[in-house]
Amino acid sequence: MSEDDEDQSPASDLRSQRPCSPNKSRNCISSSQTFPDHVLENVLENVLQFLDSRCDRNAASLVCKLWWKVEGLTRSEVFIGNCYALSPARLTQRFKRVRSLLLKGKPRFADFNLMPADWGANFAPWVSTMAKAYPWLEKVDLKRMFVTDDDLALLAESFPGFKELILVCCEGFGTSGIAVVANKCRKLKVLDLIESDVTDDEVDWVSCFPEDVTCLESLAFDCVEAPINFKALEALVGRSPLLRKLRLNRFVSLEEVHRLLLLGAPQLTSLGTGSFSRGDQSQQEPPDYAAAFRSCKSVVCLSGFRELMPEYLPAILPVCANLTSLNFSYANISPDMFKPIIHNCHKLQIFWALDSICDEGLQAVAATCKELRELRIFPFDPREDTEGPVSELGLQAISEGCRKLESLLYFCQHMTNAALIAMSHNCPELTVFRLCIMGRLRPDHVTGKAMDEGFGAIVKNCKKLTRLAVSGLLTDQAFRYMGEYGKLIRTLSVAFAGDSDMALRHVLEGCPRLQKLEIRDSPFGDVALRSGMHRYYNMRFVWMSACRLTMGCCKDVARAMPNLVVEVIGSDDDDVNRDYVETLYMYRSLDGPRKDAPQFVTIL
Amino acid sequence: MEGCPRSRETCPKLLDLIPQERKWYHDEEKNNSDQEKKLELRLAPPGGDEEDHSAMKKKKNLDTRNNIKKEAEDKPIFNLSGNHFSPSNKTTYAPPHISHKRTAPGPVVGWPPVRSFRKNLASSSSSKLGNDQINKSGEGEKQVEPKREGMFVKINMDSVPIGRKVDLNAYSTYEQLSFAVDKLFRGLLAAQRDASGGEGEEKPIIGLLNGKGEFTLTYEDNEGDKMLVGDVPWQMFISSVKRLRVIKSSEISSALKFGCSKQEKMRN
Repeated sequence: MSEDDEDQSPASDLRSQRPCSPNKSRNCISSSQTFPDHVLENVLENVLQFLDSRCDRNAASLVCKLWWKVEGLTRSEVFIGNCYALSPARLTQRFKRVRSLLLKGKPRFADFNLMPADWGANFAPWVSTMAKAYPWLEKVDLKRMFVTDDDLALLAESFPGFKELILVCCEGFGTSGIAVVANKCRKLKVLDLIESDVTDDEVDWVSCFPEDVTCLESLAFDCVEAPINFKALEALVGRSPLLRKLRLNRFVSLEEVHRLLLLGAPQLTSLGTGSFSRGDQSQQEPPDYAAAFRSCKSVVCLSGFRELMPEYLPAILPVCANLTSLNFSYANISPDMFKPIIHNCHKLQIFWALDSICDEGLQAVAATCKELRELRIFPFDPREDTEGPVSELGLQAISEGCRKLESLLYFCQHMTNAALIAMSHNCPELTVFRLCIMGRLRPDHVTGKAMDEGFGAIVKNCKKLTRLAVSGLLTDQAFRYMGEYGKLIRTLSVAFAGDSDMALRHVLEGCPRLQKLEIRDSPFGDVALRSGMHRYYNMRFVWMSACRLTMGCCKDVARAMPNLVVEVIGSDDDDVNRDYVETLYMYRSLDGPRKDAPQFVTIL
Repeated sequence: MEGCPRSRETCPKLLDLIPQERKWYHDEEKNNSDQEKKLELRLAPPGGDEEDHSAMKKKKNLDTRNNIKKEAEDKPIFNLSGNHFSPSNKTTYAPPHISHKRTAPGPVVGWPPVRSFRKNLASSSSSKLGNDQINKSGEGEKQVEPKREGMFVKINMDSVPIGRKVDLNAYSTYEQLSFAVDKLFRGLLAAQRDASGGEGEEKPIIGLLNGKGEFTLTYEDNEGDKMLVGDVPWQMFISSVKRLRVIKSSEISSALKFGCSKQEKMRN
């Protein structure tokens, strides 16, 4: 998914409000003298309709006022990377015919309890503004937003043609809100709840879908921690001929999956298997699960396994050869259980798993999955002082076997520079490299040196790298490498790293494409913060928590950059004179500081 | 939510957790040496040890790094240019010998950076639909701080401005904890009532666990959820509790508004 910013257009908003430069205005005036304006507009509209990419559209809107206006009329899909960068009113004023909105809210570190709840990112003002402005709205895709049941109800009532609701890492709503959407959105094609916190309101939302044939193509509720009415689900699947993607939650047992597969298996392309354990142990003979999976001729994406009973895992063997995406990240699978399965997955491109598969399992992946593009290894036991079943051995194996690797997320206890250097040479296609050595400040466990050279090699040799997360013991040298070689890096995550302000300065004075910077628990202070002032307007956000910033410096930055919203979160007590800044979160905004900041947020 | 004065002389709203949360926040990051320091005999009032936050925070960060680096110094080659660790900071903060006692640095908020729904895999993997039984076998304790030393959590009581700390390792049942809470707050509550014009007589604080008393004991767990104390096995409670709060029983439902569904989850 391209990360190009809607936020670039607010910048262009600013520019277009200044008078056109003489050259431009001359052209504009001459055009309108030659042709009537509305003819030109029509022509432009017809042409600009074909522009899909955000980037292209942003560029087109900068040509002149006329283009800006027409582009605003024809953009149907809007991406807003930070919900506080502009107000809903500005959205509806500029873009008149929006059908699809992608909106992101909280910064990522909020996922890890680094920010108190109730910080904001409320969907409410957006839905209420759009309800009046875009009655034809079809798609809403939210990430890390606070969405209430009322918001969902308003959405369901206001947009008769509504087709797609995707909520990723959201919270604030429950099954009652989902029920309203299911019931009122008659044209609903996609209802995807992904990694969201959904309250159990004890509402049978599955029964709320309309009784006739539905348009459903994708239904994902694996994150919903509430039992569902299985009979209703079965009936729903039975009357949803277009259903291709079905991701069940852990309250759906293997027997129930079996029944669903018998109903609709041939059409399914993506299946989330629910608990993957037997609900009813009393039956002696389990049904033939393998037969059910055999009928899944089109399944290419498999996930679930939330409470895996390993003896039934071989049932999925019939689909392995077709799989391009496999998510075992909720299943505590040992290497012995794992190897026979992965051995068949030759087409696998996306693989998520727990580190319980060990280095041995990773070696098996490397041996078989030559098409692998994305690998994520999560810790089964996420603590700092455990043994660690995966290490540099697994990473080395992957780098040698999976040369097409583009995206890596790897949690481990120990790592070596050598493995990272090897990966940097073996996997030139890497765009995302996120390594989390769970023990803080751990050096290379073979040489005892800092991890500078390893990460240095990654930024130097992986020329396509756009996202980097570092860990382990890192000195300022690592950051020197990042600043110098990280030409395409857009997102950088730093924790417990660096020696001094110089480290952050290297990054802020280098890394020309840096957009998102999140730092925690690192010794970077005012000098470093000031060194980036030339570029904060061109970034989506900067997060710094538990660093060495002072209130005085943050105030200076806020004063010097009026379009930057500088939030100080959770600094001690109400006394704004306290100098130490616990958390700084700053971002550009066209519409000034937000009005809904809670008490623990101070906007400078 | 309107602001509540820091002094907490009037806490009109039951859950003005926002200032509380900040403090809780800090507690997450305070490691054991900080708590050891609080045990030292001193003349300051019980709540007074939390005044010097900003200075302590800075030192705490440095000290945490000190502790961690001590652990990391297995290899003699390893030598950081620790020019930002001025020796004076070390000596003015926690007594150095304490950091040697621990074999691992204290856990830190949000580290490793794994989302909460992934954190409990170790304890729930062998359970079907989250059976409490599994947790009794001890698997739920995997993320517990070392219990060799005291396990201090903050405890606040409605209408009492001064918070206290309790060592949960000193108790093994909810009844013992409830008794301790009564001892901690009985006098303070009476003093508070006396100061605000009510009767200053000391009355025992009872019924904390069954909803029948004037007050009820609640807690906040490691995921930020607010729960009633007493629902889960003691060990499970110990492994997830982060702070305690004694609230008025009349305000239970609104207090747990955000927590109730999680409570259901826990029970399942």
